[in-house]
Amino acid sequence: MDTAAPRPKENQGQPLPRVDARLKVTGQAHYPADLPTANIAYGALATSSIAKGKVAKLNLDDARAVPGLLDIVTYGDMDTVEKPKFGNSGATSIGPLHDRTIFHDGQIIALAVAETFEAAEEAAQLIRAEYDAETPTASFDSPGAATIPAAGKSPLFKEDVKAGDFDAAYREAAVKIDVRYSTPTQHHNPIELFSTTAFWEGDQLIVHEPSQNVTGWKVELARQLKIDPAKVRIVSPFIGGAFGSKGPMTPRTAIVAVAARRLGRPVRCVTSRMQAFGTQTYRAETRHRIRIGAGKDGRITAFAHEGWEVTSRPDSYVVGGTSATGRMYAYGSVLTHVSLVQADRNTPGYMRSPPETPYVYALENAMDEMAVALGMDPVEFRRINEPKTEPIGKKPFSSRSLIQCYDQAAEAFGWAKRDPKVGAMRDGDWLVGMGCATAIYPTAVAPCAARVRLTVDGDVRLQCGSHEIGTGVRTVAGQMASERLGVSIDRISVEMGDSSLPPAPVSGGSISTASVCSAVLKACDAIRAKLYAGATAEGGPLAGSHNEELDLADGKIVAKGGASAKVEDVLKTMQVGAIEEYAEFAPKGATPEALKKLYAGMPEFHGGEQDEDSVKYAFGAEFVEVRINRYTREIRVPRIVGAFAAGRIMNTRTARSQLMGGMIWGIGQALHEATEVDSRYARYVNRDLQDYLVPVNADIKDLQVILVPEVDHAVNPAGVKGLGELGNVGTAAAVASAVYHATGKRIRDLPIRIEQLLA
Amino acid sequence: MSQPSVPSTLGLSRRNFMTGTVSAAAAPLLVSSAKAEVPAAAGAALREPVVTSMRINKQAYELSLDTRTSLLDALRDHIGLTGTKKGCDHGQCGACTVLVDGKRVLSCLSFAVMNAGKDVMTVEGLASSDGKLHPMQQAFIDHDAFQCGYCTPGQILSAIGCINEGHAKSEDDIRDYMSGNICRCAAYPNIVAAILQARDQMKGA
Repeated sequence: MDTAAPRPKENQGQPLPRVDARLKVTGQAHYPADLPTANIAYGALATSSIAKGKVAKLNLDDARAVPGLLDIVTYGDMDTVEKPKFGNSGATSIGPLHDRTIFHDGQIIALAVAETFEAAEEAAQLIRAEYDAETPTASFDSPGAATIPAAGKSPLFKEDVKAGDFDAAYREAAVKIDVRYSTPTQHHNPIELFSTTAFWEGDQLIVHEPSQNVTGWKVELARQLKIDPAKVRIVSPFIGGAFGSKGPMTPRTAIVAVAARRLGRPVRCVTSRMQAFGTQTYRAETRHRIRIGAGKDGRITAFAHEGWEVTSRPDSYVVGGTSATGRMYAYGSVLTHVSLVQADRNTPGYMRSPPETPYVYALENAMDEMAVALGMDPVEFRRINEPKTEPIGKKPFSSRSLIQCYDQAAEAFGWAKRDPKVGAMRDGDWLVGMGCATAIYPTAVAPCAARVRLTVDGDVRLQCGSHEIGTGVRTVAGQMASERLGVSIDRISVEMGDSSLPPAPVSGGSISTASVCSAVLKACDAIRAKLYAGATAEGGPLAGSHNEELDLADGKIVAKGGASAKVEDVLKTMQVGAIEEYAEFAPKGATPEALKKLYAGMPEFHGGEQDEDSVKYAFGAEFVEVRINRYTREIRVPRIVGAFAAGRIMNTRTARSQLMGGMIWGIGQALHEATEVDSRYARYVNRDLQDYLVPVNADIKDLQVILVPEVDHAVNPAGVKGLGELGNVGTAAAVASAVYHATGKRIRDLPIRIEQLLA
Repeated sequence: MSQPSVPSTLGLSRRNFMTGTVSAAAAPLLVSSAKAEVPAAAGAALREPVVTSMRINKQAYELSLDTRTSLLDALRDHIGLTGTKKGCDHGQCGACTVLVDGKRVLSCLSFAVMNAGKDVMTVEGLASSDGKLHPMQQAFIDHDAFQCGYCTPGQILSAIGCINEGHAKSEDDIRDYMSGNICRCAAYPNIVAAILQARDQMKGA
């Protein structure tokens, strides 16, 4: 077996190739902007060139003179439509065309629609605005920045967690550190551009748009347009990367839908890469102060984590990663506080491991600093502080294989060969450094529905309104049906990415595999029950057998004693051509309204830190080697090893790929990614893929993923912990620690660039 | 004040062409004389459709296009070959890579009319008519060299170009010469493994 398809260990599924792989390598996978649409008109956005103020006047004459121009949607044209809402399915409460107020740079001021893409672009660029401009607040430290406590500002962040008496413990600690970190603004930059294609068939609205949340968008778009959600259909069969950016719907969708209604023909608007920086969401910059106190034996007695996060003026977007960092180790006492800093910026949003990426970066960098202060090996320091229960609510972990991850990754990496002395490892002109860090991500699950149909011909059709954003969810859902129904994967068709399918939760929070597979499992088990009843009924081929003695394999019902009956024959004796089951899965602890809320696009999340019985997380350990040129200070990461435990692994191939992608994201967080904000104009400067740096092929060399076996029945019926957001947590801290080990320089502000190592 | 240079026909790239027109057209802050530097007639002439012939995936096409239409938009919006993807429209991501006369070209940076008389190969033209995949396509499946799949057509065409150019002799070579194709899902190690497999098979073919 090759590297891409690791041999499954205990509780790990087969590395089947992706069910949609052939479509993807032949150009037949149709992303929303690829779907054929007749008689299409093209839309292009015009956006504001100021970040704060009002649009005094809009001159549309030059734009209207462009041959082929069909329409301009701007102020006044959205008055009969409700404003967007910030929250569950909406990216922002800013209704850009509802109001002439400008809240941020790059805010939509008009949509030009024309016969061709070229004419639409030309017209959009000829739209001229005159502004009553005010001086904007760009970020932290800018005049006018307002700092408020985050707790209670978001339903997802209710309180600042704490335990014991931090002040006393910190005061008395023998060894202590007090350090500050920062992480920059980042944009998801999936390679697929953001696009909306909208068209009306009578009173029915159809929208082709890459989405991680088709059910939520259907309901929210219907609310904005004041129509019945049953009249709205969101279609998103393939999504060209998302990473959170396609979770909440942006105001553009309703604007394009209105344009299509006015024109009476389909309108497609593909947002330019540059415009996406201001019209979509992003990861806001954060700051951290961490204090750790410990005894000389290395046991932590006091831990404090304060965080500051930028948000927009109207919307309180909170990530609040202290919920996780405050529970990571066996701290004696915990104090946390998160603040929001309001600036004249577009509203931030979820980006791959939203709380953990910045907060765990700060924590794990501090853990390394503390290990240095104690003169301890950083792995041993973490081992000493491994908790039996989490320190806040004293709940057990449903499972926690962190130490196994450290041991397996350390061995594969060769950590024992590391000389702990700073700057001691050299290879010619290269300073070599090695570092490690913990990865953690909460394990959640949400209600989900699925429809599964098994026909007499042995074919299976699986339908679920989840989203194939590249995770392989189509493949693992098919694999679950394959295993439970004893049908080969090539006989299973999996339909996803359409709001007319049974609803699934938003594909965020690493919940999809657990939620979808739990629903598919339930539907398949209902089919099994009907088949067993048919087979064991009086006169049936397996009459007298009990259900618990039966299994399904290779198109047959097999009894323990060896007797078997073809599924085809059982269906014939039942006199049916197919068995179809519609299953609704609700997690343990779900409220009575949980399923109703699923259909309303507001799925309840369970797990993580919220459950009564235990806290639920997936864990990993990452080790990196950095090489820094002694003259140029060029930084390379030639080697990285990550070991992860995440309950049942449905497919070792897709799991490895996701973790690998996450680790490379982590290297990007450490060394490359940052959106520069012009502090004078509150404007993003490097709004393209030339200047917004992401890792490219030549940045990555030797990368190893280890899937550590783990069994956890408490998390959900499928036994699956999500891992799509696990791989990029902690990586940046491991890189920063390795840079310290190589150079003696502790870089606390990401990304780590050559210039920081020159001084 | 500097006069915008008049590009020669041969040196006409979409980037310097667009830079010239866009900065003049969308410059409300500039003095009005800046506008006068661009002859008004140029705009009108640009919009006149031009008939262009080219071969795409071994089939002849005759297209009537706005001269500003990129090869990428011609493929996607005028011919319906949506396998070629738009990721940035600025030649920075590689998602739109196609082969023109066997060489890799960023189709977003090439006007369609510049490709008159040329042979264009897109991802739709790689598999044989009996459905057998090109070795590179099969290698991408075998090594899971993609996740979301959006950059994949560009990666595959670029990989074939990379081998044809003789830039796939070592893993380091491949990494360097494939770095113009961004994979945000970051399947890079798998892409390198896929290219190594296909390289050896293509040699044998």
